[in-house]
Amino acid sequence: MAEYIHVGKSVTKIDSLGLAAGMEKFTDDFPTEDTLHCAILYSPHAHADIMDLDTKAALEMEGVVDVLHFKNVSRVLHTTAGQGYPEPSPYDTVLFDRKVRFIGDRIALVAAESREIAVEALKKISVEYKVLEPLFDIEKAMNPSAPRIHGDEEHVEIPVAYRPEVNLAAEVEIAFGDLEEGFSEADFTEEHTYTMQAASHCAIEPHAALAFFDARGRLVIITTTQVPFHVRRIVSRVLDIPLHSIRVIKPRIGGGFGGKQEVILEPLVALVAWRNKRASRIVLSRREVFVSSRTRHAMRIRLKTGAREDGSITALEMDALMNAGAYGTHALTVLSNTGSKVLPLFNKIDHLTFTGKSVYTNLPIGGAYRGYGATQGYFAFNQQIDMIARRAGQDLLEYCKRWHIQEGETSDVFRALGEGKKGVSQTIKSCRLSECIDRGAAAIDWYEKRGKQLKSGNDRVKGMGLAIAMQGSGIPQVDMASASMKMNDDGSFNLLIGATDIGTGSDTILAQIAAEVLCIPMEKIIVLSSDTDTTPFDTGAYASSTTYISGSAVEKCARNIKARIITAASQILGLEEEDLSLDMEKVTAPKSGQQVTYEQIALSTLYSRDQLQIQAQASYVSQESPPPFIAQFAEVDVDEKTGRIYVVKFISAVDCGQPINPVLVEGQVEGAVVNGISYALWEDYIYNSSGKMLNPRFWDYKIYTALDLPEMKTIVVGSFEETHPFGAKSVAEIAINGPAPAIANAVYDAVGVRMFDTPFTPEKVWRKMRS
Amino acid sequence: MREIRWYYPENLKQLPDLLKREGVIPHGGGTGILRGSLNHIEGLIDLGNLQLRYVRYRNGKIEVGAGTTYADLIEHLSGTDPDHILVKALKAAASTPLRNRITVGGSAAFFPVWSDLMGPLLALDAEVTLTGEKGGSYSLSDYTKNGELRKMSLITSVQWKNKSWTSFYHRESRTKVDYPVFSISILLKVRKDTIEDIKIIIVGTARRFTQCLQIEESLKSLTLDQARIEGIGSKLDVQFTGRRNFSAEYLKHCVGIQLERGLKAILRS
Amino acid sequence: MEAVFRINGKEKTFSFDSDATLLAVLRDSGYTEIKEGCREGACGACVVLLDGLLINSCQVFAASAAGKEIITVRGLGDVHSPHPVQSAFVDSGAVQCGYCTPGMVLAAYSLLQKNPDPDDSEIKRALDGNLCRCTGYVKIVEAVRLAAGRMQGNG
Ligand SMILES: Cc1cc2nc3c(=O)[nH]c(=O)nc-3n(C[C@H](O)[C@H](O)[C@H](O)COP(=O)(O)OP(=O)(O)OC[C@H]3O[C@@H](n4cnc5c(N)ncnc54)[C@H](O)[C@@H]3O)c2cc1C
Ligand code: FES
Ligand code: FES
Repeated sequence: MAEYIHVGKSVTKIDSLGLAAGMEKFTDDFPTEDTLHCAILYSPHAHADIMDLDTKAALEMEGVVDVLHFKNVSRVLHTTAGQGYPEPSPYDTVLFDRKVRFIGDRIALVAAESREIAVEALKKISVEYKVLEPLFDIEKAMNPSAPRIHGDEEHVEIPVAYRPEVNLAAEVEIAFGDLEEGFSEADFTEEHTYTMQAASHCAIEPHAALAFFDARGRLVIITTTQVPFHVRRIVSRVLDIPLHSIRVIKPRIGGGFGGKQEVILEPLVALVAWRNKRASRIVLSRREVFVSSRTRHAMRIRLKTGAREDGSITALEMDALMNAGAYGTHALTVLSNTGSKVLPLFNKIDHLTFTGKSVYTNLPIGGAYRGYGATQGYFAFNQQIDMIARRAGQDLLEYCKRWHIQEGETSDVFRALGEGKKGVSQTIKSCRLSECIDRGAAAIDWYEKRGKQLKSGNDRVKGMGLAIAMQGSGIPQVDMASASMKMNDDGSFNLLIGATDIGTGSDTILAQIAAEVLCIPMEKIIVLSSDTDTTPFDTGAYASSTTYISGSAVEKCARNIKARIITAASQILGLEEEDLSLDMEKVTAPKSGQQVTYEQIALSTLYSRDQLQIQAQASYVSQESPPPFIAQFAEVDVDEKTGRIYVVKFISAVDCGQPINPVLVEGQVEGAVVNGISYALWEDYIYNSSGKMLNPRFWDYKIYTALDLPEMKTIVVGSFEETHPFGAKSVAEIAINGPAPAIANAVYDAVGVRMFDTPFTPEKVWRKMRS
Repeated sequence: MREIRWYYPENLKQLPDLLKREGVIPHGGGTGILRGSLNHIEGLIDLGNLQLRYVRYRNGKIEVGAGTTYADLIEHLSGTDPDHILVKALKAAASTPLRNRITVGGSAAFFPVWSDLMGPLLALDAEVTLTGEKGGSYSLSDYTKNGELRKMSLITSVQWKNKSWTSFYHRESRTKVDYPVFSISILLKVRKDTIEDIKIIIVGTARRFTQCLQIEESLKSLTLDQARIEGIGSKLDVQFTGRRNFSAEYLKHCVGIQLERGLKAILRS
Repeated sequence: MEAVFRINGKEKTFSFDSDATLLAVLRDSGYTEIKEGCREGACGACVVLLDGLLINSCQVFAASAAGKEIITVRGLGDVHSPHPVQSAFVDSGAVQCGYCTPGMVLAAYSLLQKNPDPDDSEIKRALDGNLCRCTGYVKIVEAVRLAAGRMQGNG
């Protein structure tokens, strides 16, 4: 492997000092003049028609400037999913509808001189409802006699199954071989149903957006988004504002995790600004984020496997029922991922089916969430293989190592299942999962503790659990990223990228890649990202794509720059291009010893001879989506009398290809693991019988604090992915998949009960142990 | 937006008049006030200038000014008695920045079911001193039960006999930083291997708090060897109402287990 | 109403509604380094030092802070001369999205003022009022340890 100067080094994040000093700006930190503040009226009913709505009293209040609702806003069907065009999610949303579909659905928006006035004015809007029967249960919602949540106009822009008449937002089906034959070859079968609950991303920065006009009358939107280019496109379409009149800027973002891959607030502030020709602003409260932004999809998975005595799996049948909530944003693709990111992992199963349905209900809206359906799939899959290995009397670690997909192998699932269309077939070029398993096991002393039920004080019993997973790196043949660069007088470079740093450090990683190719110190790369006016296109921060796809675009762009520098140097030095190579900030001719610095090249090309701006651009679309791999180990103590689970230690060993920045890799894994553990143990949407969320507050929706941490360790198992210029794969999502199943497997190891539904509250574990 | 009048009295004599005004209430740390609706509040009396932030020792008692914060009290007691039950209890209450704000007076007046202060104080047989309409000293337990005492009066201090106890405190919560669903406070005094005195208070029960008198009585004057803890938990007579993530049945089971563990731990030490 | 605060060393007069929180007043006056994550005292993004004590500014009426001294994260240092706690966060990789960071830095600073040599459990306890969804806290705890070491080394 090559010696790198920046790649593989834990360069500090370029924005971190400004953030630590409180100087970097987030959306709501930007001042705007003469601003209208917006507040939203939400539905108190889970399912109702709006018969009438009266805003007179609100409009009469001093300080109220505008009220938006279904009567004065045109009804343009769209999806809020920030996906590429045409989106695979159904067009089932309008800004304001005559119908409300969950408690928290929006009804009207007040724009006023202050936020307080806007909030007061909401109380003055009177709405007349005809309450309809609400649907919360996915089975009931699919019943042909159930009321319909969506109408006939709703549709998907691409040819996929969409049946709103039976409340189906999406369906998926793939099959290989012959299940019946497969099960008949089996010596034993396991069939279980697993459920996972909805969850909030809990980015500490709530969603916010502001819109204002620049001096040329163009509309500028600053917003908490993972997808600035999709925001521009969708806002333009929904509001019928010419795209060229809109500029979207993504400032610092306080965490996304998928929650900000949604175009929710931008059309609203844009519309208020456009109608009133004034700046407008909205910041959601935490309660609004919980109820009215997006959640992880609750899912129920039935998994049936047939296996021979030696544990080899002869047939697998997975059926996923996903609760889409009131709108179908990401309903198809999250569901597909439950199969497509999970099933290729054990690629030697001849008889296999995956079926799934995404069901509309009158509950908060599901959406993209780190893990994106794979989390739910792996919860089922990993418990099932733990059971099979146990029944077959196999050592779990050896079992996993024997059956997981290997380098040079493929899976039919890759080809069969894509994002709203067929997938892309691919062969695995890098996989160090077996090494991940070995190193993780050694770090946690697996064999000393697994199956031993070691006891400690206060009735605690120890258990050990493993979960393995893969994910993807971007969406192949769909996601496009681009970059452009130009050279400055002193030999520094501006790097302009559409890629969206939402706290992940992508600005830094992409600068590392550019600095590596150009052989310059980090500070000579000046990064500007995610501004639709100045940076080139990028699909955005989702699908674990930035390092792999945007990184490849940046590498290509930097190589183009390098070629131009060499050309210029060859003219200056009067030498052949082949005789020149890059050294730190200069071009040298190793044979003659001649050299010219970047600064000299820049000055010469800008001011003296054959003048031109050294600049380049590049775009990149990937042909494949190489999966990263992970093995995650949980050591838990279970209180035999109260059922409380104490996660004592958690180890993740990850193969993400060449880590571009190891500390950032660890940070991604640690963040995902802690989120995964608190989701497995506590996080939950608790509803009353009317479908109202009862705990939309941090004090009542428990996420982990520093005090709750287990001992944690991340092992970065390097590999080299040959389809990436520096051998990198993704790492942002994968680590959230393991905590729930690893803990569940550890609980079984400790006390012999199987936890089929998250969260594993002490009471649930206690009830299981009692029965 | 609500127009609230703020008062910043500088001595206690100004209080009775202020407290008589309609809708005017004391402001300790403000953490409880901000949580609720401000609709009925006309005025707030800031207690910050009244020199109520102190811990002092008088007549064999520890006296804590109403304006003392949780953090103040922890810091003070840790210096003299790091094993004090209030140190154990308050250390885990709320969060570091909130402990810098929450006052003893405000918390005793507010007494939420998740209070980490009240169990220990009730076990210590604390008293409150009031100023205003109902000026004087009252047992804390009476104060919690008698709504009349709260009218037009405020707490200036909380005090209890400065005796040394062995203590145990347990708070049951979801994650570590959370309101406790219940807490158990146990104080024990042993003389020559004999249980001389024991207090057990459970906060968070259906009646807000419960003193386990029967268990206390059954253990008093036994020697440490005689005390049988096994089974005490399942016989415990307390009622809970179901809470988020915890049914009443589970809470009752769980409090029994934790009580037995607490008693075993405290008798062992 | 009107009140004077001494903020980051400068006396300033603020006018605000009588029911306004300190958080709202300071953010509206341009102190945007103080973040808002919940307005319920649960996330710690809004913490400042009030007369030297770490508090949630969303849980404090501005009126009750009249005349007091306030320090925000910008009062500790800036990009030109960062405070050792700020540098330690940068060097440890403890800053991801950075939204929790101003609060975390202040919580760490406040701890180290009182306890220059904390152990891990004391560090975690001191951060119990600050939520971070990005880092999993591991590197934040490391940062506080690093800051403690550096600050002691520097005398
Ligand atoms: C997010 C959060 C989490 C919390 N978690 C916990 C926890 O885990 N454990 C715990 O013990 N507490 C906890 N608390 C604290 C508790 O909920 C109350 O907020 C607190 O006890 C109130 O104290 P205060 O000084 O802020 O009172 P204030 O808010 O100032 O006052 C509360 C009430 O008491 C009255 N009052 C104030 N001072 C006096 C006085 N001297 N005499 C008479 N009446 C007075 C007020 O008029 C008001 O009605 C938490 C609070 C918050 C916001
Ligand atoms: S905004 Fe104050 S604690 Fe969250
Ligand atoms: S770094 Fe994003 S919340 Fe802490």
